[in-house]
Amino acid sequence: MIQFTPLTYDALKVGEEFVSDTLLVTPEDVDTYAFAVDDHHSWFSGTSPFGGPVAHPTFAANQALRLRHSRYVVHAGLHAKMQFEFLEPIRVGMRVRSRGRVIDKYVRRGKQYMVTEYVTEDEAGTPLVRGQFTQMLIPA
Amino acid sequence: MAITHALAVGQALPPLEKELTQRHIDAYSGVRTRSIHTDEAWARAKGFRTTLAQGMMSTAYVSEMLTRLLGTGFIRGGSMSVAFVQPVYAGDRLTVHGVVKDLRPEADATRVVVEVWCENQHGQKTAVGTASGLLR
Repeated sequence: MIQFTPLTYDALKVGEEFVSDTLLVTPEDVDTYAFAVDDHHSWFSGTSPFGGPVAHPTFAANQALRLRHSRYVVHAGLHAKMQFEFLEPIRVGMRVRSRGRVIDKYVRRGKQYMVTEYVTEDEAGTPLVRGQFTQMLIPA
Repeated sequence: MAITHALAVGQALPPLEKELTQRHIDAYSGVRTRSIHTDEAWARAKGFRTTLAQGMMSTAYVSEMLTRLLGTGFIRGGSMSVAFVQPVYAGDRLTVHGVVKDLRPEADATRVVVEVWCENQHGQKTAVGTASGLLR
């Protein structure tokens, strides 16, 4: 059972770790993502050089970005920076999950920020995407 | 399909244009109450003129540009580093730009580094950074 608490700058600890739930990559979700970003590349729905349909490279990014929601109630926030390394394709039919760790928090010009590094893996633990993102906390 | 002709430093890539409707944002973010992306009243209460697109949507556009350029060499071996410098609102039209910044050998391929940025319909940059992938 998870005890959710409001996300505040003071509550957040550098070094704390998050794990997402596992997401089954379905054709419908890949298609919805293609609609959302208006990118209907044929590799997302048919054959690809990887041997079958793959998801958009940034498909699982929101799973990572929402890692903090696995423990905190997030009032509001803004995304400030994003880094990706695309290591392996996310294939339709995979089950993927993201793990992250808070590596920094800081205040700049009166705004509060947190920095998280993460990896998205398949069910065998193979890294698919690594990244790092900086989010600004908007206080309640 | 990836572009296969020779690339040169300074070369501009074909720009992408994207209309960000609320429907696109809803599909991207999932409709939630108390979300600055999908709850207009909440977005206004937080000081924004209307709902905002997630910054991450712009990374998807950059990803599309690099996949068009490099194909498999972006999906396996690509990278991106982007800062979101202005909010993007529902109803905005973004143009995604890219200019080849560097070409350097990497293993049996060439890493193509592209300076990327997104501009809104007012000519304001909303995201800036670099992306790269492998040309084999």
